[in-house]
Amino acid sequence: MPDKPTPEQDPITSKSYAAYYLIAMVILMATLFWAMWDEAWGQRPWKAFQEQWKDRYSAFLNTARSKSLTSEKSVEQNPDFAALKQAYEQADQDTRAKAAEIRAQLDDANARLLAVQSVFTDRRAYVNALTYELETSNSPSAKASKQKEIDEYKEKKATVEYPDGKRVAYNFEDLEKTYNGIRDEKTKISLQLGAVLKPKTEAQAKLDEYIADHMVDLTPQQIDGLKKKVADWDPKIVQINVAEANIVDRCESCHLNTREPLKITAASMESKGEKKPDEYAEAFTTHPDPELLKIHDPEKYGCSPCHQGNGRATTSVEKAHGNYEHWLWPLFPKENAQAGCQNCHAGDMVLVSGDVQFQTINNGKDLFRQRGCNGCHRYEGYDKEPEDLNSIGQQIKQIENQKIDNLKQTAYLMKQADAAQSNEEANRLNTQAVDLRVANSKLDGRLQQLDFQSHSLMQDMKKIGPNLKDVRLKLNKNWIPVWLKKPTDFRPTTKMPNFRLTDHQIQAISAFIWQSGLTDPLPKHKPGNAIHGKELFEERGCLACHSMGEGDQMQGGTFAANLSRVGEKANYDYLVRWIHNARERTRPYCPYEKKDIGPEDYAKKGLPYQFDLEHSRCPNDGHELQVQNMTVMPSLRLSEEDAEDIATYLMTKKEKDPSAYPNAAYMDDPSLKAEGQKWVRHFGCAGCHEIAGMEDEGRIGTELTFEGSKPIERLDFALFTEKAQRGGDDAEPITDKEDLARLPDGPAHKPWYNHKGFFEHKLAEPNIFDKGMIKGETEALRMPNVHLTKEQVLDLTTFLMGSEETSLPDSYQYKPGDARHDIQEGWWIVKKYNCMGCHQFIPGQQTVLMGLKQYQDAQEQLPPKLLTEGARVDPEWLRKFLSNPALSTTDTNRDGVRPYLKVRMPTFYFSDNELRKLVRFFQALSQQPMPYIPEEVPVLTAKENDMARSLFSSSAAPCLKCHATGDPNHDKIATAPNFLLAKDRLKPDWVERWITDPQAISPGTSMPSGLFREQNNQWVFAGPTPPSFQGYTGDHRKLLTDYIFQLTPEEQRRVAASMPHAKAAIQPRTNNRQAAGQPLTPRAGGSR
Amino acid sequence: MNKKAILLVSLLTLCGLLLLAACNKKENTEQSANTPQPAAAPAATPIDPATVATINGTVKFDGAAPKPAKIDMSQDPACKGANESENIVVDNGDLANVFVYVKDGLGNRTFDVPSAAVTLDQQGCKYHPHVLGVMAGQNIEIKNDDQTTHNIHPTPKDNREWNESQPPSTPAIEKSFAREEIMLPVKCNQHPWMKMYINVVKSPFYAVTDKSGKYEIKGLPPGDYTIAFVQEKLGEQDQKVTVGPKETKTVDQSFKPVAE
Repeated sequence: MPDKPTPEQDPITSKSYAAYYLIAMVILMATLFWAMWDEAWGQRPWKAFQEQWKDRYSAFLNTARSKSLTSEKSVEQNPDFAALKQAYEQADQDTRAKAAEIRAQLDDANARLLAVQSVFTDRRAYVNALTYELETSNSPSAKASKQKEIDEYKEKKATVEYPDGKRVAYNFEDLEKTYNGIRDEKTKISLQLGAVLKPKTEAQAKLDEYIADHMVDLTPQQIDGLKKKVADWDPKIVQINVAEANIVDRCESCHLNTREPLKITAASMESKGEKKPDEYAEAFTTHPDPELLKIHDPEKYGCSPCHQGNGRATTSVEKAHGNYEHWLWPLFPKENAQAGCQNCHAGDMVLVSGDVQFQTINNGKDLFRQRGCNGCHRYEGYDKEPEDLNSIGQQIKQIENQKIDNLKQTAYLMKQADAAQSNEEANRLNTQAVDLRVANSKLDGRLQQLDFQSHSLMQDMKKIGPNLKDVRLKLNKNWIPVWLKKPTDFRPTTKMPNFRLTDHQIQAISAFIWQSGLTDPLPKHKPGNAIHGKELFEERGCLACHSMGEGDQMQGGTFAANLSRVGEKANYDYLVRWIHNARERTRPYCPYEKKDIGPEDYAKKGLPYQFDLEHSRCPNDGHELQVQNMTVMPSLRLSEEDAEDIATYLMTKKEKDPSAYPNAAYMDDPSLKAEGQKWVRHFGCAGCHEIAGMEDEGRIGTELTFEGSKPIERLDFALFTEKAQRGGDDAEPITDKEDLARLPDGPAHKPWYNHKGFFEHKLAEPNIFDKGMIKGETEALRMPNVHLTKEQVLDLTTFLMGSEETSLPDSYQYKPGDARHDIQEGWWIVKKYNCMGCHQFIPGQQTVLMGLKQYQDAQEQLPPKLLTEGARVDPEWLRKFLSNPALSTTDTNRDGVRPYLKVRMPTFYFSDNELRKLVRFFQALSQQPMPYIPEEVPVLTAKENDMARSLFSSSAAPCLKCHATGDPNHDKIATAPNFLLAKDRLKPDWVERWITDPQAISPGTSMPSGLFREQNNQWVFAGPTPPSFQGYTGDHRKLLTDYIFQLTPEEQRRVAASMPHAKAAIQPRTNNRQAAGQPLTPRAGGSR
Repeated sequence: MNKKAILLVSLLTLCGLLLLAACNKKENTEQSANTPQPAAAPAATPIDPATVATINGTVKFDGAAPKPAKIDMSQDPACKGANESENIVVDNGDLANVFVYVKDGLGNRTFDVPSAAVTLDQQGCKYHPHVLGVMAGQNIEIKNDDQTTHNIHPTPKDNREWNESQPPSTPAIEKSFAREEIMLPVKCNQHPWMKMYINVVKSPFYAVTDKSGKYEIKGLPPGDYTIAFVQEKLGEQDQKVTVGPKETKTVDQSFKPVAE
């Protein structure tokens, strides 16, 4: 066989590409399917959520429905329901025959109408068409012929065939009449039917209402509605879009139950057989606080303004929650959720809705102020007084300049006027000059107001720490360095943080503080009675702010210092002065001259050395002086002897003798002073303390107003940046045991490179980011350890996380312009002075005193609850009371309203500014309009007066048995205020409500309920009425109230005397009206 | 989505989709039908009246009896007679006014609330009795036999607080407490010395010791019980007891004085 020449390879079909094609096709198809899958599911994880939701929610609704049916049945078993049901059936029965009859008439009318209608509408259309032609024809002749045509058509008869077979022929006019006639008839019959059925429909409505009112949850019908919604659900993105605020939130695409009307927990959304709720179950809960959603309608507020996260993202849970690198506002974790409040409520000190307090954020705000954070860190709104004072000073300067300009201008204008060409010109210039003089007089008024305000601000300005100008008068010298070493070693609960000072720094600082202290002599006091002092300390209310005992033994509040070891550090004479009146200052301070003013300055001007709130002008330059110690501690209006007793008792509180402290002679070494001053400045001590020569020191820390939105790169994680980003077992840099315990979630394992992680670590161990760094003495981080608990770290972290520069429009900020603004402002003062340590402001709120042992069996000895204070008292009276709770200028060692309480309302020396705000606060809190216009109380006739008196003093309503009368013998056992106060103090409408049901106004009060009962729209006395009431038809409650409001001291004395065994002889004591009317002179500061 | 996942997904999608198309999901339709019902508690065994036991005993005060403080009632002339504090009433070592009840051991039995009310009387500006036992939900009829107005002011821990006025010769007030609470204090704000304690329990097995310190609890089904003795000042003491059918068991208890 000759060799067949091998054919040349076919260039085209040399080899099969099938395999490649197949692979390519598979890849292509795969890509296609993947693209389709990704489009339908991959990019839409929420679809899976919605499918799960449909299954789980409808299962839940089925269960809910059967429960609802059961509870509906139990509601239906109620006799009230049965009665309503019977009424309904009766009504149905009664109306049935008549209704059927009317319905038949209606049907007949309908049928006839139909018959006439078809013919009539036809013909009417034809007439209309002809009329149109008539209107549009041009020539008169054409018009006439058309008119004729219409008339003829109208006259032509048409036959209507009625349902009963009758045939009637009508011309157009009759046809129209018949048609309208039947229509009217039909309307009448319908109305008649409605009237007849009225009892039945009403009974039905009552029945439905009863069920709706008595069902705790939704009715089965309502649940059926929800079920239908779920069954008809098509997968879709659920979105809230508020263009105005640039909110686009698609959160509800997965969180489908957020706004459902039933309460749905994660546990109830578990799928079958699951032990723990999975991510679906967690997502399908209702909002935990539906009340909050009522105030913040999601249609307006969306979700992300409060919770943060990326509301637009739909492609993954992480993205939607904003937990990825490129989103700056990740979802607030559950425990920090209240951070979101701060975005709009930065101006609120207390966030409360009804009786729910938002404790995390409230505590955070409180801690920020109470721990003195704002001593070093500026935060908008906190510790405003110094800034306000500054701005007022500038305004004063500006106005004074303006005045001078105006005067010059006036003189110039008058000169011009005198030399004017014409009278007109002269008059014009003179008028201008007069205007300017008026303008200046207005400016004078303004200046006066600014002066008052700066007086107020000086009074309001407080420092969180004590005045260090007084150290020499106040302290055991040798105690100071020991304290500075580690304050918590001496007093574990102190607010003074630990600055990690070296021994050398301690020596220098102690020396500087000691040598710059005042050395004025203190009045000497004799020792008092410690046992009586202890009694007073426990009775007067000191424990509402201070605490005694350490650890488990601690009793009292944390607002002020724990006094368990005060005897080791304090100087007795100073302590007496402090207890007697903490505001009493050693020397007044002149901010203008920047120095403490002494007797020599007064003597130079020939003035007595007297400075207090009434004498607060600098003798040298007339500027406003600081005449008070800048402490919030009030005066309890104790006698000097009582103050000595308490001080004596406190001096016994010590663990070791003051003399046991090692001698610190170096504190007198002048060479240390300059260095000490350097360190005092370096550590910013003047942020919390008054220190000589450092009154105007600025804050040394960074401003924190917008700390939460600072870019993470600007938070210095130092050497731990990488660890924090990576997480893992070595992610926790803190090793100190005590500091580790401050971390809310314990040592970090997960990555913590975020704001939360930074704040928590910084607060737990403030110098943690110095670890491993080589820094000089002055370069190290200065922030001291504030020794917070982990709860406190959580609260403060939440507060800081929420401290953000918000992108929300201004209208979203809670800055109300109405009475709610008064509430907002008032809370700042209430918190500033710890009013809530004694008083209840919010239903259910616990006060410090309520928790004390001595009140467990003596609730009536607690300070009054202030739940309706604004509705109770006359605001003008309240202002007087707040500025002088003794209601007297002479008899001050007592309580003006409740002398029977051992605990005492102290004098806070509120400035006019704060008084105004507090009075408005209480009025606004009780929705009372301002200004208050007292209700006119009618003058009782002699007969009415007798009747009221007989009720007032009857044995069934022995009012004076408990209420104080001013008779010391009686008042020993009194447990309620004197009626003579009522006229000026109370609002009559409140008194009426009070005597009806005091328990509803102040739960737990001694005053019993059930004194009156309602009868024929009148409130009548519930007990046996005195005989004089025979035939009286008026309101007993009103009568008694009117009587109380016109009670005179003489009348009260007469009544008290006539009452069995009540001791007569009431002292003609200071009549409250007179006392309250007198100008009150609050005193603070020393006078000697 | 990272690259690996894309590759994996693209390869798996083909098979996946085919599979998906084949088996339509119709598996969990009956899931909603039978929802879990909480298991009903097993019914308690009824009490057989033929086997019931009795517990009785005497409560003693082990120590010198404190002298009761005299009370000055002169502030209200309507309060006649002598009065002394009743917080520890001891006669010959027998301690009165101790509330004794079956604290534990009755399991999940529930008991009918008696329709008859118990009476709390105010007479001579004193409460009679000073210590009262009542079942939760049972009515307490509060009477005022004095010629003066009282107010009745319970200050409970676990029930609702109220405070109502009761003038002389007015009808009795009927009240009840819904929740169990031992030594619930009741006071009159107008007569500060007036104080008594109501004990609200869920079973009818309770008693208050009389002047001779004696008490008796009848009708108790046989079983193991914890009997609690509660005194307003001296606190609570518990004893574990087993009673057999028809047994009458004596359970005595003594209290020691507590340091004030």
